[in-house]
Amino acid sequence: MKLTFAYWGNYTIAFIALLRTLGVDFISPEKTNTATIEEGAKLSPSMYCFPLKVNMGNYLSSIRKGADTVLMVTSLSGSCRLRYYAAIEDKALAEAGHKVDFIIFNQSYKDIYSKIKEISQASNWTIFKAVCIFLKKLRMIERLEKKAQYIRPREKIRGEIDEVLKWSFQELDEKHNLKAISVLEKEIYQKIREIEIDRNKKVPRVGIIGEIFTVTDNMVNFDIEKKLGEEGIEVHREMNISYYLKKILFPCKDWIMQRKIMPYLKSTVGGNGRDAIYEMLGYGEKNFDGIVHLLPFGCMPETTVRPILEKLHKQTGMPFLSLSLDEQVAEAGIATRIEAFVDVVKNHYFRKEEKS
Amino acid sequence: MKIGIPRALFYWKNPYLWEEFFKSLGEEVILSPETNKEIVIQGTKISDPETCFSMKVFFGHVFWLEGKVDYIFVPLMKSNKDKLEYCPKFFGIPDLAKILVKTPILTETFDQRKRPIEETLEKIAETLNKDQKTTRKAIAAAFAREKEKKAKEEHDFYKTVKSEKKKIVLVSHPYNLYDDYINVGIRKKLGDLGIETICIDEIPLNLGLKFSPEVKFHWEFGREIMQKTEEVLRYDIAGAIEISSFQCGCDAVLKEFVEKRFKQSKIPFLYLIIDEQSGDAGVQTRLEAFVDTLK
Repeated sequence: MKLTFAYWGNYTIAFIALLRTLGVDFISPEKTNTATIEEGAKLSPSMYCFPLKVNMGNYLSSIRKGADTVLMVTSLSGSCRLRYYAAIEDKALAEAGHKVDFIIFNQSYKDIYSKIKEISQASNWTIFKAVCIFLKKLRMIERLEKKAQYIRPREKIRGEIDEVLKWSFQELDEKHNLKAISVLEKEIYQKIREIEIDRNKKVPRVGIIGEIFTVTDNMVNFDIEKKLGEEGIEVHREMNISYYLKKILFPCKDWIMQRKIMPYLKSTVGGNGRDAIYEMLGYGEKNFDGIVHLLPFGCMPETTVRPILEKLHKQTGMPFLSLSLDEQVAEAGIATRIEAFVDVVKNHYFRKEEKS
Repeated sequence: MKIGIPRALFYWKNPYLWEEFFKSLGEEVILSPETNKEIVIQGTKISDPETCFSMKVFFGHVFWLEGKVDYIFVPLMKSNKDKLEYCPKFFGIPDLAKILVKTPILTETFDQRKRPIEETLEKIAETLNKDQKTTRKAIAAAFAREKEKKAKEEHDFYKTVKSEKKKIVLVSHPYNLYDDYINVGIRKKLGDLGIETICIDEIPLNLGLKFSPEVKFHWEFGREIMQKTEEVLRYDIAGAIEISSFQCGCDAVLKEFVEKRFKQSKIPFLYLIIDEQSGDAGVQTRLEAFVDTLK
C-alpha cells in the first residue's frame, strides 16, 4: 500500500512529517502547478468546484509514481459539496482507468485517530510523537506566514523575507525530530530578526477572507499575499488549519460566530460561508482598509454569502474585491485586478489618514 | 393583509401547501406570475452572477412582488420530515431577499429535525395574530390539498406507465420540471414528438424495495432521486433526461450517480443544462436527436 494525498500549500510539509513519523509508505504530492491543474480538470466533472480539480491533478501525478491509496478528508459539519469529494474522485479516477483505494476521514478527532491506527499499525506512542511533530511544524508554518505578512510591506530590501521563508520551509521538511525543529526555529527567527524593516512606515491593512483552500494555498490563489505585500500592504488572514482544528475542538466557537452575524444571516450555509461574514465584520471593527474575498468559481456557500458581503462593503465603505478562481483564470487577469484594488486601498487609506 | 409567494424554488417543493395555508387563514395571497422573460432578466440582473440559474429566477420572482404586497413569504427550509437537508443555498434565501427588497419578509425556519412542520406553521400564524382554531383548520386544509395532489399524481403515473408510447423519465428538481418557461417547455416538446413523459417526483415509492446506494446523500432530493431512479428502472423506460440549472452545485454531484445508474441499465441518457440563454431551437434539435436514438 502506497499512500498519497492532496497538496495543500505550505501545510503539506506538516502532513508529510505526520506520515513519515508514523512510518507508512507514501508518495508526497507534487506541488500544484498549471500543468497538474489542467490535467485534473480534464478528468473532473466540469460543473464541480475548483479544489476538486486541483486535488485530482495532485493524485494523477502521484499515481504515476506508484501510489495506490488516497487519503481524503470530508466535511462533517456544513452542507457543501466537500462531503462528496471522495466519492466523486473515486468515480472519476476509476472511469479514467486508475485503480485506487480511498481512505476517507471524517472531521472528528476520534475517527482520524482510529483510521491512523488502522493504516499505520503504529503504537500509541508513535502516533503521539507524530501528532506532536505535526502540530509543531504546523504552528511554525502558520507563524512564519503571519510574520511574512507583517514584514513584506516593511522590509527595506524587497524579497528578503520570501527568501528566508523558502529556505526555512526547505529545512523544515528535512528535520525529523522535535529537538532539531526547535534548533531550526531559533535559527529561522535569528534570520528574520536580521532583516531590516521600517517599523514606522505607514501601511494600509487588508483582510483576506473566503474559502479555506483558496485562501491558504498560495499556488491556487496566485500568491496573492505576496503580491499585496510587495505593493506595500499588510495582509491579515485568520483562516488556516489550526483555526479549523480549533473549531472542531470547541463547537461553541460556531455559536459565538452565529450570534455576531445574526442580523445578516440566520443560518449556516455550509462550508466557510459564516466565517467570511464574521471575519469581515471583525475587520470592519478594526477599521481595515480593504477586504479580498477568495472563492472557487461557483462555490455554493461563498456565492450565497457574497451579496451580504457586498452589503457590508457598502455600509462600511471598505474597499472590497471578490476573486473567483478556477482553471480558466489566468495570472495576468488576476494581477491587473489586484493592482487596481491596491490603488483603491491606498487612496482609501490616505484619505482616512488626512482626516485624522 | 396581502401575502406574496414567489412562484419559484420552495413553492414547487410543496405547490399547494403554502397557498392553501394562507388562504385558509383568511389572508389574501398573491402568487407571482409564471416565469416569463422579464422575470428572468430582472433576476439575472439583481442576483450574484455566479449563483445558480434557479436562484436568479427566484430573485426575479421576489423582485416582482416588491411593492405589490404587505409581506413576501420566504421560508428558511432546512430539513424535511426524513431529517435530510435541503440545498444549502435554500438556507440563505430569506436573508438575501431582505437585502434585495424593501417589502418585509415573512419567514420562519422549517427544521423538522427540531420541530414538526405543523408547529412552524403555527408559529407563522401567531406572527399574523391568528387564533388557534383558525390555525388548526388552515393547517388541516393545507395538508388535505397536498394529499389530494399526491393522490392525483399517483393515479396519473399508473395511467402513463400503461401507455403504449415510448416513455422518457425526466430527472430534475420540481422547480425545473414544472416551470415550463425554465425548462423550455420540454414536456410539451416531447409530447409533440410522440413521447410520454414521467417526472421523477411523481413516481410513488415502493417501500418494500431494497435499496443500497453507492453514496448516502444528506440532501433530501439526492436521496429521493436516487431511490426513485432505482424504482423507475423496474418499469419499461425508453430513455432518461436530466435537466439541471447552470451552476447548480448539487446537480454536479447528483448527475454523476444518476447517469451511472441509467448507463448500467443501458438506458440512453441526455444531460441538459439550462440557463438564461437557453434557446428554443437548440433544445428542440437535441431532443429530436435524442428521440431518434431511442429504440
